[in-house]
Amino acid sequence: MVRDLDHALKHVSLRAPAPRFERPRPPRGVFTSQQGFMRALGVGAVLLVAVLPFMDASRYTMSIATSALIYVMLCMGLNVVVGYAGLLDLGYIAFFAVGAYISGIFTTVLGWPMWAALIATIVACVTAGIIIGAPTLRLRSDYLAIVTLGFGEIIRITANNLKITGGPSGIHGIPTWSFGPWSFDDGFNLFGIDFPERVVFYYFVAAVVIVVGVIGAGRLAKGRLGRAWKAVRDDEDAAEAMGINTYIAKISAYIIGAVWAGMAGQLMATHLSAISPNSFQFLYSALILMAVVLGGMGSTPGVIIGALFVSLAPELLRDFAEWRYLIFGVLLVVVMLFRPSGLWPATAVLPWLRRTRPTPPAFTEATAVPASVMESVDGTPTTDAHEGDRA
Amino acid sequence: MSALLEVRDLRLQFGGVTAVDGLSFEVRAGEILAVIGPNGAGKTSAFNCISGFYLPTAGSVVFDGKAIVRTVPRIWRRLGLVNLLQSFGLYRVIPSRVTKWGMARTFQNLRLFRELSVLENVTTAMHANLREGFWATLLHTPGYRRAEAACVREARGWLDFVGFEDDEQLYVTQLPYGEQRRVEIARALATSPKLLLLDEPAAGLNFNEKQALMRLIRKIRGLGVAVVLIEHDMGLVMELAERIVVLNYGKEIADGAPEDVKRDPAVIEAYLGVDESEDAR
Repeated sequence: MVRDLDHALKHVSLRAPAPRFERPRPPRGVFTSQQGFMRALGVGAVLLVAVLPFMDASRYTMSIATSALIYVMLCMGLNVVVGYAGLLDLGYIAFFAVGAYISGIFTTVLGWPMWAALIATIVACVTAGIIIGAPTLRLRSDYLAIVTLGFGEIIRITANNLKITGGPSGIHGIPTWSFGPWSFDDGFNLFGIDFPERVVFYYFVAAVVIVVGVIGAGRLAKGRLGRAWKAVRDDEDAAEAMGINTYIAKISAYIIGAVWAGMAGQLMATHLSAISPNSFQFLYSALILMAVVLGGMGSTPGVIIGALFVSLAPELLRDFAEWRYLIFGVLLVVVMLFRPSGLWPATAVLPWLRRTRPTPPAFTEATAVPASVMESVDGTPTTDAHEGDRA
Repeated sequence: MSALLEVRDLRLQFGGVTAVDGLSFEVRAGEILAVIGPNGAGKTSAFNCISGFYLPTAGSVVFDGKAIVRTVPRIWRRLGLVNLLQSFGLYRVIPSRVTKWGMARTFQNLRLFRELSVLENVTTAMHANLREGFWATLLHTPGYRRAEAACVREARGWLDFVGFEDDEQLYVTQLPYGEQRRVEIARALATSPKLLLLDEPAAGLNFNEKQALMRLIRKIRGLGVAVVLIEHDMGLVMELAERIVVLNYGKEIADGAPEDVKRDPAVIEAYLGVDESEDAR
């Protein structure tokens, strides 16, 4: 055991003395620990996502659910950038656009299969993250927000004017996933239920990718890299002083965010089979950012709730016709008034697990410092010596 | 005795203001050195130069045989590109590198990570020493679990070492000031330093906490770590330090054992001023 620990820590000149006592293992039950409860909640959510098509496989439901899942993926990516690393990004939709366009161009213009386009998408998103991140991440807060805003617009306007991206009308007829002779267009039969609609396949593909994406982002946030991100968010200079290369930490957050958005972009390109520059307006950047802030920055359940709210609320309010965006806006303001740190803040503790601070030991004669000692250090009595007298 | 840290003719100018003006001193391995001086004497500026946060105008800082201040070729100065290049990490040593070499520091005003728990604050500082890859984190490999366990155990060791006895899961903002100071020192120690720079560690502490701090600093020295502290509390400095460097207006005015420094006329003048009526006579 000790040898393992020595291996895990690189050879360092100074090691801590052993802790005074071994802590008991923390509880792991569903209702006795936060971690257990969140795990159970996650499993429940995954089951719900898996079961949904068996309950209602209509084209409308499936397509709404798929776009909601894509929103979740986007918000998880932005959560890495904004929530964990604290870098305000107002042009996040640009990475979504890069992902969508790269997969669209590679499959239609170049005729690559979708899995090859996926690799190209990831490579392109990493590159885009580095290109945008490298020069701009030296900036702080407000300046970074302005630069990213500009980048978002540049990508959209470029897509609007290039020939290869199809100009304002975009790219049409993006093919579906296919594995050799078998393609998603054929339809299939699962557990005796026939799924003729291709939207259902996209739903399942999106569900798998998003579950992996959500778990991956959550795991990264808990490890060494995630701690570095959070340290940079809280205090950049202190993080640098603790041996964290803040530049690498920030650019890695940017790259992870870009890859997550690119995957979401590819899902959307295959889901809708057509993309146009209008889908990548600034409005969507703002909407995703709003979902992250609304749900609770840096909190996985919060961000998922926020993403679902932002993507589903306009649909659920469809009956109110032109009033729906007004109601949507009022709802948002109300939520932010009553839950300023988000619907499910990252620091939230389950109510039944909430601990109160241990009370400090009471002041007694035994712990009191004799007055003679108080005067010994520099000859003058310290103010503390008289503190008790006032009471 | 070989010097662990060697500062030669350090000079730092902000426009027309000279914050540090030709400062030279050295720190030997495993000693406690105090840097004192009136307010605005350039103590913290010097600290920031040594730990790589500020880029000094001139001079050299050598830590453990490695130069922290790099010389910039004159052509870049002529082209006016020095700041740009240095902002990209060229011709300078970034503070995180200095920390990796084994120099840890604390800040004058507490700068803990406010949204992290006490334990996470300390584990964060082990960033550079932790063997934990990207894919291992994503896949939660056994190696990752071992590394996390080692990291947490080490952090607990440091928390126990500094005498933190509260709940490690609390957020640092929930702690009293004195405990936050302890956590900050534990966090600095978790980077496994050879030299620890403490910037006013006793500021805002009460008597009991100062006594505990002195015991802690002696304990840290006992580990073989050299400690350099900036402090205004003369009582603490005189009792703790083995050597004292006194600064005034960015210049070093005295360097020696506490007793000698106490009697140095230049030091008395810096702190108490000259008796003008006596001068006139």
